[in-house]
Amino acid sequence: MANNSPTRRIWVLIAIIWLGTFLSCEKRSTKQIDPELASSGSAEITAQLVEIPGEFPANDFYNYAYVFKYRVLEVHRGQLNGGEVFVAHYNPLKPRLAAGDEFSGKIGGNLERFRSGQIHRMALEEPLDTYWMGGIIDKYFSQHGVRYWAVWTNRVGK
Amino acid sequence: MQGGWSKDMVGLRISVRFALFLFVSSLIAPMKVSSLGVKDTQLVAEVRNKGWIAFSARTENGDWDLFLMRPDGSRLSNISNTPKLNEMGGRFSPNGEKILYRQMPMEKEFAHDQWGAQGQLVIAHSNGANPVSMGAPGGYPWASWGPDGKQIACLAKQGIQIYDLASKKLIRSMSRKGIYQQFFWSPDGKWFCGPANYSGERWTVVRLDAITGEVNPVSNFQNCTPDWFPDSSQLIFSNRPANQEIVDGGKMAASVGERPDAGWTQLWRADGAGKKRTLVYGEDGRHIYCGAISPDGNYVLFTRSPKDGVGLKNDGAPIGLMRLSDAPVIRGDSIALRRLISRSNEGPVLDLPAGWEPHWTSAQVEVPGGK
Repeated sequence: MANNSPTRRIWVLIAIIWLGTFLSCEKRSTKQIDPELASSGSAEITAQLVEIPGEFPANDFYNYAYVFKYRVLEVHRGQLNGGEVFVAHYNPLKPRLAAGDEFSGKIGGNLERFRSGQIHRMALEEPLDTYWMGGIIDKYFSQHGVRYWAVWTNRVGK
Repeated sequence: MQGGWSKDMVGLRISVRFALFLFVSSLIAPMKVSSLGVKDTQLVAEVRNKGWIAFSARTENGDWDLFLMRPDGSRLSNISNTPKLNEMGGRFSPNGEKILYRQMPMEKEFAHDQWGAQGQLVIAHSNGANPVSMGAPGGYPWASWGPDGKQIACLAKQGIQIYDLASKKLIRSMSRKGIYQQFFWSPDGKWFCGPANYSGERWTVVRLDAITGEVNPVSNFQNCTPDWFPDSSQLIFSNRPANQEIVDGGKMAASVGERPDAGWTQLWRADGAGKKRTLVYGEDGRHIYCGAISPDGNYVLFTRSPKDGVGLKNDGAPIGLMRLSDAPVIRGDSIALRRLISRSNEGPVLDLPAGWEPHWTSAQVEVPGGK
């Protein structure tokens, strides 16, 4: 077969189209967002966990929400200012996917354990009291600021 | 023969001494044994006909049913008898004609502190007859009788909601100001109470003005299961003081799987403003919960669980009944507690059947049968 035959040109064209489609899909998948993040809560942010101010009590007898302080890196949805925000997580000793129950409502995400400095992408609701009726551990009580309720929490990066 | 005494004389001397010993012993021993017995008997006689106590208890079937008993523990009667359902949180209406409680399938577990938001609300005659379910599971959470029995106040995430029972209409809403469970309307209708998130502390028992919405703390740090005195001026509640002295190296706590420094929950009272806090009952080795005052304000019921969580995983906890005028009562060795409270009594305390969340009415309830 000659190098410039029509059949060869067709195969080259097919290969180019396929390669282009493949690269395009790769690009989309790296930017693909967890649909739960996009569809949960009234706000969505990526933020860095500033610190863990105290020990998490065991869940032997009681459920509770624990307020964390985050540094906002990006606001994806909702009316949030940058800077720092306070976010309450339900029973933080538990992986997010296992944390939800009949008292918390929907809770989820791929975050397994909370560590200071982690970056989380979260779907949030507020005010906290409307979403959680139970004990709240808030070491930042004296600091003003809305307390958000984390509905879905994914870890970003390593 | 010694010292001039014959054998018979020696024998007589011994017999006389022994007789004297027996005589003196007969004076002392029955006083020790029967004084506690007499006091218990007196208390039994005092309370026997003072109405009825409702409480939840686990049946042989393994489910939780609603029971009534006389305050002395007699006339025990299962008034719900639902093998496939659990009932809990029975509360008599102010006139004692009705009782409300939560009900849910046996397969589901009660949360010992969040039960008021579980299952369906049911209202029945106070002997359990004609039960009527209200709303969906989770509806009317923490329903509490209003002063005339025609309304209930409920504690929901969105706030306090007051309903007219006849029409089921929502009459009024207000902020719950951090209260999150174990919510009760005062007999005079002027206040609400419950554990709350208050000033950065959870488990603060607060009093909330039912009209103005103003809230004040009654007791900070590790409090729960509050309830009202009949005159609405005082509250009974459970409190676990911080930094309790560990005198046994933590053995007692370890024996029930708890941390040595966890401490023991006690029963306290205070006025609505949180002043005049006094110990009512304490017992190291027991967690005291579910305080409930008698309709005449003279007695108090409570549960005594060896393990935290009111014994819900087992069969509940033994219910105790004592006179408030005998307070503070400290039972058991309770070495650390006795060091803190210089004057206390041992009782008497009636030990009633094991159960959970007792409530007392002075009404004469028609209870068929009963043990």
